[in-house]
Amino acid sequence: MFPVLHLLAKKLGTSLIVLFGVSLLIFAIARIIPGDPARIALGPNATAEAVEALRVRLHLDAPFIEQYGYFIGNLLRGDLGISLYTNRPVTADIAQFLPATLELVIVSGIMMVLLGVPLGVLSARFRGTVVDHVIRLITLLGVSAPGFVWAVILMLVFAYYLPIFPIAGRIADSFTIAPVTGFLLLDTLLAGRPDAFVDALSHLILPAFALALSGIGQAARLVRSNMVETYDKPYIEMAQAYGFPEKRISRKYAFRPSMIPSLTIIGLDFAAMLGNAFLIEAVYAWPGLSRYGVAVVLRKDLNAIIGTVLIISAMFLIVNLVVDLLVSVINPKIRLARGKA
Amino acid sequence: MKNSFKLLSAALIATASLYGYAQAETVLRLDESPVGELDPAKASDYADSILMFNVYDALVIPKQGQPGYDPYLATGWEIDGTAYTFKLRDDIKFQSGYPLTADDVVFSLERMKALGAGLSYLFTKVEKVEAIDATTVKFTLAEQDAPFISALTRLPIVDKKLVLENLGDGEGDMKDWGQAYLSGHAAGSGAYKVVSHNPQEETAMAKNAGYFLGVPPKAPDTVRLRYGLEAATVRTLISQGQHEISSQWLPPEVLKSLAASGAQLLTERGTSGFYVKMNTTKAPFDDVECRLAVSYAFDYNAAVKIVAVNDTISQGSAATGPIPVGMMGALPADQTLAQDLDKAKEHLAKCKYKPEDIKMDISWIGEVPLEERFALLMQANFSQLGIKANVKKMPWALFSEQVTKAENTPEISQVFVNTMTGDPDTLLYSMYHSTAAGTWMSPEHLKDPEVDALLDKGRETTDEAERAKIYQELGLKLKSISPSIYGQDQISVFAASPKVSVPALTDPAKAFPLAAFGFTFRLMEMNE
Repeated sequence: MFPVLHLLAKKLGTSLIVLFGVSLLIFAIARIIPGDPARIALGPNATAEAVEALRVRLHLDAPFIEQYGYFIGNLLRGDLGISLYTNRPVTADIAQFLPATLELVIVSGIMMVLLGVPLGVLSARFRGTVVDHVIRLITLLGVSAPGFVWAVILMLVFAYYLPIFPIAGRIADSFTIAPVTGFLLLDTLLAGRPDAFVDALSHLILPAFALALSGIGQAARLVRSNMVETYDKPYIEMAQAYGFPEKRISRKYAFRPSMIPSLTIIGLDFAAMLGNAFLIEAVYAWPGLSRYGVAVVLRKDLNAIIGTVLIISAMFLIVNLVVDLLVSVINPKIRLARGKA
Repeated sequence: MKNSFKLLSAALIATASLYGYAQAETVLRLDESPVGELDPAKASDYADSILMFNVYDALVIPKQGQPGYDPYLATGWEIDGTAYTFKLRDDIKFQSGYPLTADDVVFSLERMKALGAGLSYLFTKVEKVEAIDATTVKFTLAEQDAPFISALTRLPIVDKKLVLENLGDGEGDMKDWGQAYLSGHAAGSGAYKVVSHNPQEETAMAKNAGYFLGVPPKAPDTVRLRYGLEAATVRTLISQGQHEISSQWLPPEVLKSLAASGAQLLTERGTSGFYVKMNTTKAPFDDVECRLAVSYAFDYNAAVKIVAVNDTISQGSAATGPIPVGMMGALPADQTLAQDLDKAKEHLAKCKYKPEDIKMDISWIGEVPLEERFALLMQANFSQLGIKANVKKMPWALFSEQVTKAENTPEISQVFVNTMTGDPDTLLYSMYHSTAAGTWMSPEHLKDPEVDALLDKGRETTDEAERAKIYQELGLKLKSISPSIYGQDQISVFAASPKVSVPALTDPAKAFPLAAFGFTFRLMEMNE
């Protein structure tokens, strides 16, 4: 237990340092992007006095260090400022848009693991056979085309020609669900509306699958490649010589060590989906943080840019932490080494 | 007896079902580019205008099918020099239930000017506004301003009491002038109330049962204005009957495909134009002969074909000059501009720059992919004169910053400009007056005393017939010095389901000469 806590504490410490570095970097970069945020926010015909007044209010007339000082001071109070894009507190925007993206990414991540990993295991177990070739072809399709291409194809096939799934949005207009957590799947259950839950789930399937496709392909190929390598190890040969069932060899002796390198990449893919979800969110009109993030960058909405990047960075760090913990659980060498230390 | 009773019950149930069906709520779903700015003092884009015209009312509205303005919240007005006195109706209540009085008009203008955002520049000449009594309001201008009446279409009247009850943090008595509140709530008297609002996602509106003119039963009960839908998504939604009206930003191919599968095409014209702007302070366009050369070299017909939807509808029509056909002061419709390479070469020969020495960037706004097609067309057209031009993509944020300085402004820029009030002054003054140089509307950085004089005269002259002549003279002058290529008159085309009728966007006699006013939901009919 203590080695895990020690690992957790160490990771949290380094994560805070990374977040501080990210905040400084994005604070500087946001100010280099061309465009006057005050002018863009007030409209092209706003008076010069109004633009100047807004610049002063945003401290844009102050030196960089002073501006950063204001930012850190507000951040410590949980205040990310006002979004010039939506005219609302950035924290309110993030609170609204983040759950939508998280819900999409979590379901995509689950698809990635539940589909990608078994496909990789099957492909490795039946390597060289027709099963292996078919799976490898499918996974190649997943990684070769960008997600938004699949998003449009899936929409055309399953929402237009075969109208099985809804086209856009998170839930049908006929449902009004009070936002409790922001995760519609949860909120519909909390509201006691199984019909709304089914509707929200059906809205989620296509965008989540489109987002997960490339990850499924990558996960399957990684797991296959690592398992094929593991299958060549002497202890596997020994297990086979002892007559262990193939299923047991695959599950216990080949799969588990293969998961260690695969898990790290899968974790990174999962975190990357937060930022990469933009085009999927655009195609399916999914009101998420990724789409919001791109919009605020284009409008040079400084507060919102920094808030969005910090949140996505924090998610990356959390996912990395979880992956590290999982790896230490899967790999007893790491736990034992830390215990001895 | 039992059978008769059963039959009667069945008949009653069937009738009730039919009645219920007939009374089912109608929903209109449409989309536009984000954001939807609900605060009327900050509104400037198309989506903002749609919200403004339905959630709020103004003192005047544009006439249908012709230029001019009718009283709306006002019953009439009198002009005495620079003083404009309006009498208000006394039977209007805001959606909050508070009565609309002259105090609200005063507050609305003071708020607009204090915030200095959106369309506040239309009211810079208003020196004083006062409530003479509950139904009389007087505006005193610093000088004659003929476009003032048209500007009032863009002064939505805000519920002063409601706003004062909801002031946010800020300095002074007025604190934030209710900005935080009005960015998420409505304080208007309009025919539609805001039910929910997310500026990036959707604004849901419902009929205002207490509207002073009533809302016809066939008008949509609920309206959902969605923001930022992709073309592919809109295409699919309309085809599946889950969306009624598209935005104007669909590519011509998508509009054509929707029309082929049964959608109707709605149009709005005479309010905006596509302008190719030449930086008159930099080579080669500091020489009028070079500007005239490229103006004649531009293939106007090909530009219209680029945006053609089908044989009868296009997203643009041939221009006659700087003012779109149909607006006051436009040059005659039979005098459309056309390519003339001989004249182009003639002018080029008089230009002080040799074609082989000319270096120019044809910029296009990254967020408007259509402009790339026009840029490539120009590159091809100018190459016929021996001019090599670079096509350069620029994000809007970079473009709007660079044009503030003449030396950083590209040689050629492209913008779509629409008149925010239906009056040619709001179109031309910001583009060509020397005091307005250096904005996205005026990358020409033009400084011409004759043009300035005509623009000022157009503002000072109150007689409409005289004004029309002044703007025609201005149009001819601008053609002769050609600070811009008048690419085409823009026609906004919207794909719509047959479920909705929008007379203002299908019948020229009912069209409003003000962009987005055709989206007055009260005047639409749902055909279900």
